[in-house]
Amino acid sequence: MDFRWDIVIEYLPLFIDGMKLTLLISLLGVIFGSIWGLLIAFGRMIKNGWLRFPFSLYVNFFRCTPMLVQLLLIHFGVMPLIMSTPNAVISAIVTLTLNSGAYMAEIFRAGIQSIDRGQTEAARSLGMNQIQAMRFVVLPQAIKRMIPPLGNEFITLIKDSSLASVIAAHELLYYGRAPMGHYSRPWEGLLSAAFIYFVICMTLTVIVDKVEKRLKIDD
Amino acid sequence: MIKIKNIHKKFGKNEVLKGINLHVHPQEVVVVIGPSGSGKSTLLRCVNALEHFHQGEIEVCGITVSPKSKELNELRKKVGMVFQHFHLFPHRTVIDNITLAPIQVLKQSKKEAESKAIALLEKVGLAEKKDVYPSSLSGGQKQRVAIARALAMEPKVMLFDEPTSALDPEMVGEVLAVMKNLAEEGMTMMIVTHEMGFAREVADRVIFMDEGIIMEENVPNVFFEHPQNERAKAFLSKVLL
Ligand SMILES: Nc1ncnc2c1ncn2[C@@H]1O[C@H](COP(=O)(O)OP(=O)(O)O)[C@@H](O)[C@H]1O
Ligand SMILES: [Mg+2]
Repeated sequence: MDFRWDIVIEYLPLFIDGMKLTLLISLLGVIFGSIWGLLIAFGRMIKNGWLRFPFSLYVNFFRCTPMLVQLLLIHFGVMPLIMSTPNAVISAIVTLTLNSGAYMAEIFRAGIQSIDRGQTEAARSLGMNQIQAMRFVVLPQAIKRMIPPLGNEFITLIKDSSLASVIAAHELLYYGRAPMGHYSRPWEGLLSAAFIYFVICMTLTVIVDKVEKRLKIDD
Repeated sequence: MIKIKNIHKKFGKNEVLKGINLHVHPQEVVVVIGPSGSGKSTLLRCVNALEHFHQGEIEVCGITVSPKSKELNELRKKVGMVFQHFHLFPHRTVIDNITLAPIQVLKQSKKEAESKAIALLEKVGLAEKKDVYPSSLSGGQKQRVAIARALAMEPKVMLFDEPTSALDPEMVGEVLAVMKNLAEEGMTMMIVTHEMGFAREVADRVIFMDEGIIMEENVPNVFFEHPQNERAKAFLSKVLL
């Protein structure tokens, strides 16, 4: 097999553009997903089963259906109801937000519930209300435990954002597939994309591992 | 000071408190003893509204709590609680453990809260530990910090739930000494403990609970020398070996 470096060089500026969009989509997905996920997490912890049900349904829907199906539903089904000309990048960000929100909700919930009940009780016995106990006592301890799984979720999100190439968002894999069309050659584009994903995710993995070790020492 | 009127509490079908009546007077020290599972912790937790009850009424410092009450933080501000397992906040230094609630709940300034906290740490003999994290303290030191933390809210009543049960034997004394001091200063206290020597020395009244009922109550001398109730006799013969 001959590998044509000239194709890689020709497409390199596009790969870089695609990488930037991939990072942007993932970053916005993780930020909006965290905020959304925190709200869902509190919904999942409501004592009343009827009020809790919609939040559980939400989480389970997004965890138990393929992200590609979610993306297509949102891009071709939901977005046309909201905007006249659906934008692939916006659809991708919305899908990643809604999807990662479900996963992050579970990370937040597990983190919050991993803190000993005694901590909340001690805070309440000192006259703090529920919000103060959450804010000053439970969350600061829980966030430490959430950082590693949140980092892993971010890595997953970066990889999953490649699905957006299916709806022609001009992210990394979109350009990674382009040489296949022009030259009918799979290797150059796809391997370049794979390489860039690998470098990004590997870097993040190393960072997450470091942070995790650091947090363990502090405990 | 504390008026407990006919409290009933169930966990599911399991009735844990079956009609408790108890008045604690200002400056009185009441020690609650009884076998494990008899409902002692649950009773204390009801007084601090950490546990919801199904029937009856509790009045503390003029604030009445019933099964329907919503304003529980006001009550908790007046009642300090010390737990068997301390429950210090591990992410905060000793002094920040003590000042958190006064700053957030009582809206004291940081400076005011800290100077009060230092005075309290001196009182429990731990002034030099003010800037360390709880994980570096021994059990006895942790419990003394927990007592200081509760006192920082200037409670009218202090509740202790087996404050020395999680401690190594050599550390029990230092915690009991702090509690005895507090009693001598006139603090109103309700204490669940298995330290019979302490009960005898410090209590104004001893309550014996079993199966969710107060079986016997008396001044310590009479209670320990001449228990009337059969279960109290059996219990004492086990713990006073
Ligand atoms: N959160 C709870 N849920 C269910 N049952 C409980 C709970 N807390 C206590 N109990 C039950 O209530 C009874 C009394 O418990 P407790 O008040 O802790 O007793 P004590 O402090 O005297 O040992 C026990 O039978 C215990 O199993
Ligand atoms: Mg108990």
